[in-house]
Amino acid sequence: MSIAWRLAWRYLQGRKLRSFLTTLAVALGVMLIFGLNGLLPGMLQALRMTTMAAAGQVDLTITNQAKGPFEIAAVDVVRDVPGVAAASGVLQQNVVLPAGLNPGFPTDPLKTVSSVLLVGIMPDEARTVHIYPLVEGNFLQPGRSGEVLISSRMAEKTGLRLGDTLYLPSTQGKAGFVVVGILSLPPSAGAEEVFVLLEDAQQVLNQAGQINLIEVIFDAAAKPEAVQADILARLGEERFRSGGLELGSELLAALDMGKVAFSLFGLMALAMGGFIIFNTFRTLVAERRRDLGMLRAVGATRQTVVGTIVLESLLQGGVGTLTGLLLGFLLANVMMAMVRPVAQMYLHLDIGWPIFTLSNWLSAILAGMGVTLLAGLVPALSTARLLPLEAIRPVLPAVETMRSARRSVVGAVLIVLAALGLVSGQMQLASVGVLFFLVGLILVAPVLVQPLGRTLGRALSLFFAQEGRLAEGNLARQPGRATVTASALMIAMAIVVALAGVVASVTIGFRNYIERSLSADYLIMPSSLLLSGGNLGAGPELAQELRTLPGIEMVSTLRLASGRVNNADVQVVGIDPMTYGQVSGLEFSKGSSAEAFGALAEGRTAILNGIYAAQSGARVGDDLHILTAEGEQTYRVVGIGSDYLNAKLATIYISQQNLASDFHQTSDVLLMANRRADADAARLQGEVAVLVENYPAFTLIDADSFLENQMMAMNAAMSMMYVLMAALALPGLIAMMNTLAINVIERTRELGMLRAVGSTRRQVRRMILAESLLLALFGTLFGISAGIWLGYVMVGAMNSGGFSMPYVFPLGGVVAAALIGVVFGVLAAGEPARQAANLDVIAALQYD
Amino acid sequence: MTTIVRVQGLSRIYGEGDTAVTALDRVNLEVGGGEFLAVMGPSGCGKSTLLHLIGGLDHPSAGEIEIEGKKLSQLDDAHLTELRRRRMGFVFQFFNLLPVLTAVENAALPLLLDGVKPRQANEKAAQWLEQLGLIERSGHYPHQLSGGQQQRVAIARAMVTEPALLLADEPTGNLDSRASDEIAGLLRKAASDWGRTVIMVTHDPRIAAFADRIVFLKDGRVVDEARLSANGHEEAQMVKDRMEAL
Repeated sequence: MSIAWRLAWRYLQGRKLRSFLTTLAVALGVMLIFGLNGLLPGMLQALRMTTMAAAGQVDLTITNQAKGPFEIAAVDVVRDVPGVAAASGVLQQNVVLPAGLNPGFPTDPLKTVSSVLLVGIMPDEARTVHIYPLVEGNFLQPGRSGEVLISSRMAEKTGLRLGDTLYLPSTQGKAGFVVVGILSLPPSAGAEEVFVLLEDAQQVLNQAGQINLIEVIFDAAAKPEAVQADILARLGEERFRSGGLELGSELLAALDMGKVAFSLFGLMALAMGGFIIFNTFRTLVAERRRDLGMLRAVGATRQTVVGTIVLESLLQGGVGTLTGLLLGFLLANVMMAMVRPVAQMYLHLDIGWPIFTLSNWLSAILAGMGVTLLAGLVPALSTARLLPLEAIRPVLPAVETMRSARRSVVGAVLIVLAALGLVSGQMQLASVGVLFFLVGLILVAPVLVQPLGRTLGRALSLFFAQEGRLAEGNLARQPGRATVTASALMIAMAIVVALAGVVASVTIGFRNYIERSLSADYLIMPSSLLLSGGNLGAGPELAQELRTLPGIEMVSTLRLASGRVNNADVQVVGIDPMTYGQVSGLEFSKGSSAEAFGALAEGRTAILNGIYAAQSGARVGDDLHILTAEGEQTYRVVGIGSDYLNAKLATIYISQQNLASDFHQTSDVLLMANRRADADAARLQGEVAVLVENYPAFTLIDADSFLENQMMAMNAAMSMMYVLMAALALPGLIAMMNTLAINVIERTRELGMLRAVGSTRRQVRRMILAESLLLALFGTLFGISAGIWLGYVMVGAMNSGGFSMPYVFPLGGVVAAALIGVVFGVLAAGEPARQAANLDVIAALQYD
Repeated sequence: MTTIVRVQGLSRIYGEGDTAVTALDRVNLEVGGGEFLAVMGPSGCGKSTLLHLIGGLDHPSAGEIEIEGKKLSQLDDAHLTELRRRRMGFVFQFFNLLPVLTAVENAALPLLLDGVKPRQANEKAAQWLEQLGLIERSGHYPHQLSGGQQQRVAIARAMVTEPALLLADEPTGNLDSRASDEIAGLLRKAASDWGRTVIMVTHDPRIAAFADRIVFLKDGRVVDEARLSANGHEEAQMVKDRMEAL
């Protein structure tokens, strides 16, 4: 082992607590980067697992560009294409199975089958393109309606046997299918498949004469690309494409935003880790001046001396990064486990497990090692400039001279620029301004240490009369170290305050959404909140029956389809413009409900939701070219507004008339009704409930209890934020502990002198505590200012991103940060104060 | 006797203008091979400064230093470092052992820095520790050794590369009288038995009396010189009188 490695390793071992704290700081940063960025790929993968393409057995699948249904006659067109050996039309859709619909199923929501992929096939044709390995029973027979094939896995999970009945929700209520055969199917990436006759599926889904997928097998001698091109040319490329059906791509916009936020948090934590390491190594170099000078004196080259310090930082970085990767793995799994029940229960989505891609691994490792290397390199390079003699002479800990005026001026300029960015009203400028503000504060801080220290010291002297003055002096003679420590704490406190503000704004914002869009007296809702997540609609009969009930004043419904605009998927919601605004509403950011709904009733017009408008850049008055089941259609944008259920998805609202003609969708996925003022509420409730019982895919919900339920789910999801806050605040505590420990070691002789001239142990402890509290107050003050700023910008950014929500001043966050700052101040002082108070006085006086 | 160290017109000034301090003022000196030279003088006379300049630890403001015929002013940092590593040994007042290395590792340090394989370096260092009566302590860390023992490790470190020149800056300043005598005796041995040129800075006449020759500095200048007999350590009183006369 070279001498540099040996020295690096030995020095690390010689200061175990400090090495542990510094390594922990790196580990926390890497944990957040690695862990948080493992969450999203897992969720994305789970969404992609709902891909419904029949992969593996067929040569080609054809779907509509709008991913919607189309006429079965298209299959005949495909069969006539030279090179096509066989083609089969399929109608398939994910269908949520409400709890209790099949009484024999397991009740544990995490173990039961809560959704299936309903596949409607023409038995004879289907077997020309697929193999269906039967293990028990018989295959489907044409004309024998009401029969179903299930997989052996589903049979095992649910206990279904040949002859049992599987109930599925239907647009007419519910439909029962007798199990006639059990198939051995390859492991499914998505929901379990169940096969019924095509006409049965069409009835269940209210899509008579429609299919949504064509599976094709080519002739052995055919040229696949040529045949594919021929097929699409004959069908019409503007209407059809090759490939499968996917769900959930509308969520991608929201997940992408999450990815940016998570990466930002991780980087901030790593920046704090970098501060801590920098502080540690800067002090370490000062402590080891004599050792380093001696090394140079006996003939070590500059490279060897620098190398020793750098190797030490790399060793810590390596251990910290490895630890961070492990902790990140655990964090991601814990967070996923926390969110899973919420997603399963409310979205009927199995969000899977975290996925750690190669780029995730590499970026976490590079970030951890990179920050450590940089943070250690700067102090290490300073040793290279030492003359051996300078280092050998015993020196007292340097009293830092005032930082150059230039740095403070640069910092002040940055703060002014940040302020200008904020008042400009441009979110991008304001966002950059946050960074300027943080950096500006850090540059200006050394100059502020003394005056702020005096001011804060006066407040502190109420509790620490004598010790406070000493503490204030200690801080002021090391403004650089105080700044670096306070900076780490500042970032931690800023994040706490900002996140608290965001949580408050999001909670109030979504409450507003719910109250605006789901406030009807009667809500008849599907069991999954993701409207497109496999919820079967109801035929128009349910709404009609509802309207005829005496006591019902108004009924309005939502319908659903999928479209594509500029190669991006978009959810299309059909509303009745005459009635929607009377029982519900949208939160408009552009346009008004009266104008927009009025315009929706005339021609091809559309309202965009906030997230889609932000994503696409479309504005009121623009034309939108939407790929529908009938080809590309042009819609004019007449407003921008969002409702609660679709706030997170890229969504376009059009009239139900246009939805039927362009997208062939006439099923209601959500019904809302208001009762007359003079109606008997209790009796009417009972009558509505009886109606809804016939439609097991739907539940009658009271608006107040729905709101309460949603807020509970939101709080559960927000609990992730608190975990994040804790993980991000912790490095601030470590920074303080590190600095105080260094301060005590550096002033060993001075502390010995204090004890020698009569200072009690208690007074020494109080001095360290006072210093710690001063540092904490310093960092917290900066942190609260930065946090208020950051929170404002984050809410503004969410508004720009399409989530309209009010800005709420984070009073709770400010109070929390102040309390945390005080607690950190006390905690950080604990061990250093104890060590300082228990110093052997004689040894301390002789300390060099 | 070959001249190992030649100093000509050496000056060292700290600071500028009104606050400038002349630590050394046009000092001339020659030290031969195998000679034990002590440098004495009152506090602030420039004796440590002279030693540090000879050792290449600092740069002179004027003048020239030659070590074995090599002019230090013509050496860049890399060559100066190499010279210190291979041709010089240092013994400091505060021992300056690395706290994280054992006695044998500290003693082997210059060889390790020179790229010698650890096994070989440790063997050589162990030989020197044995010579200095410390072989049983070779695995101990500095905090486990007494002051005298630490200084002996420092001497082993200084000798391990078989240097031509040994520079000792107040080597007994932190030791009791018995340990001081031991260390001074070892330095004496380094010159007379092992043929090294030794230059030692001290303020203690008793220790200076172990040397062959004493140079007295005052206000940065050489003001007196004394040759000592073979039993020079018995001439401590004479040395003390000459010191007081400065």
